[in-house]
Amino acid sequence: MSVAAALERVDRRREAVSAAFLLGPATIFVCLTMVAPLVLLARYSLNRFDPTELMVTALTPQNYLRFFTDPFYLRVLATTIRVSVVVTAACLVLGIPMAWRLARTESRWKSAYVMAIVLPLFIGATTRTAGWMILLARGGMLDLATRTLFGVPSLELMNTEFAVVVGIVSINLPFTILTLQAVFEGIDPRLEEAAASMGAAPARSFQRVILPLAMPGVLIAAMLCFILAMNAFATPLLLGGPRFQMMAPLLYWEFSTNNDWPFAGVLAFVLMASTLALTFLAGAAVPRRYRVR
Amino acid sequence: MGSHMMTARPTRRRVLAAGAALAVGPALFGRSAQAADRCVVGTWGGDYARLLRENIDDPILKPKGMEVVQAVGDEAPRLAQLVAQHPLPRGALDIACMVAPTGYLAAQKGLLETLDAAKVPNLKNVSPLLTSGTFMPNQFVPHIYSVQGIAYNPLTVKDPPKRWDDLLDPRWKGKIGALANSGFYIMMGAALSQGGNPNEFDKAKAFLLKLNDNDLHLYAQTDDMAPGFKSGEIEVGIIWLARTVMWQNADFPVAGLVPEEGAMMYISGMVMPANAPDKEGAYAYMNALLEPAAQQGFAAHMGYLPTVGNADLTGKVAEQLALPPGAKLVQPDYETTGKLQPEMNDWWLKNIMRKA
Repeated sequence: MSVAAALERVDRRREAVSAAFLLGPATIFVCLTMVAPLVLLARYSLNRFDPTELMVTALTPQNYLRFFTDPFYLRVLATTIRVSVVVTAACLVLGIPMAWRLARTESRWKSAYVMAIVLPLFIGATTRTAGWMILLARGGMLDLATRTLFGVPSLELMNTEFAVVVGIVSINLPFTILTLQAVFEGIDPRLEEAAASMGAAPARSFQRVILPLAMPGVLIAAMLCFILAMNAFATPLLLGGPRFQMMAPLLYWEFSTNNDWPFAGVLAFVLMASTLALTFLAGAAVPRRYRVR
Repeated sequence: MGSHMMTARPTRRRVLAAGAALAVGPALFGRSAQAADRCVVGTWGGDYARLLRENIDDPILKPKGMEVVQAVGDEAPRLAQLVAQHPLPRGALDIACMVAPTGYLAAQKGLLETLDAAKVPNLKNVSPLLTSGTFMPNQFVPHIYSVQGIAYNPLTVKDPPKRWDDLLDPRWKGKIGALANSGFYIMMGAALSQGGNPNEFDKAKAFLLKLNDNDLHLYAQTDDMAPGFKSGEIEVGIIWLARTVMWQNADFPVAGLVPEEGAMMYISGMVMPANAPDKEGAYAYMNALLEPAAQQGFAAHMGYLPTVGNADLTGKVAEQLALPPGAKLVQPDYETTGKLQPEMNDWWLKNIMRKA
């Protein structure tokens, strides 16, 4: 073995040790704060619930069977998925043009535009949802406006799926736009100029050149948006009303109203598993050339 | 005992219990024993926590050199904390606030200390109406109580419903409000009205399905109902009479009455965990919360009735909180509530909280 090769091996080992030192603390932290509770929760979900004993040690699939054999819970899961898909589609439809325009603008107001998108993130989701309640509730701003202008009450928007979708879109949209803006800014504007020089109209250039290049980023933005929507808690609770059920509020109901930790654990795992499965499925459905590599 | 939380053997049960303690984060670390100069009270936040400070902590305990620390949170995490910390020699809370059915559950699981009545002299003043075997007031000290009544808007309703059955009148269609988070109490109230006792759940279910078909408005949180009265969304509702007093004081158009069939009692109280680190402090706190002045403060500001017989109310407060003489007030049957509550909550969720 040559001296150079030996030195290279030593260097590589040093790099590996250094990487381990850098990654180690974070990995241990993640394991302790995320994996360990999940393992505990998984174990709880196999326990038995007794109304007076609360959680009783067992190894039973009963809680999972309860979820998958009761149409009520399956409907709640279906509602959660439907709302999340609609929210994701709405965020992409609204977010892609805004993010592209934001990425390409050379206006001196660009940083102000970015701030305008970031600012809502300074306010908690619950507070913003409370704002929607003031807007949509009976006797709220929208109702007062239609009564004053047209003499009729506004449509009953509170406690509807529509209100929940609007509320979650308003929360997820800044995340979608900021993710997509970074993606579009990474695409060389000269490509659009080249497309234009070959006669492509801006819409065609966007569709045939920019969007395919941005597709991995669009996919990530969609995944982020979908995951956030699947796990939405405050918005469905406050805007959907008590008769509208999604998975995260239902999970808290089982924990807080019934003290049923095992079934709440099942709901958590079903929610997590369906979110991950659908996210990967969506990723797999995208043609290979567009995927993140 | 079947629960894995309750055994002391170093088995996997213990391991899981320790895991549960981990799950409640900071609560894992029990406190060391203290002198009786500090008391950690696990309580709800908002008005209740503020009134505890204003009526108990500051005027009664602070002058005696005692520091009260509030651990604010919902009841469910508090019960979870008690369960998770039970295997530890010392927990984190000296006092935990709970409603009576939850307190009973905690007592049945052996999580609570049975109080030495000699250390809480005011226990002797607790109203006989607020006792229940060895559970109340010896394990669960009743702090405040109210009754489930029929609320109405006095500006628009001149002839309010006086019985639960009256709520089925088509005249109230779409104008009745109830709280989604009080399903089990509403079921008990309906059972009392339909069958004469709060355990007649089959009769309650039949009644509530009809009530739901009368376009029952459900509100997610208690205070959501007051704007419903103000905006005209509802004209009558099922609610704790204490709330009607609070809303009256906030200028909402609400009045309340006790149904002719009788009313369920809602009792909120405090318990001492069996592994409370500062039991002397907890005893001092328990005695303070039963002081007449503290009880009168809660009555004046929250509309809840005193739980002791020596806290006379006067003036407007006495007028607002007066119950009709001879009104039938019924406590939940805690043994039954303990066994059936999850099943009834499920029924409520799937049948009443379903889409209209």
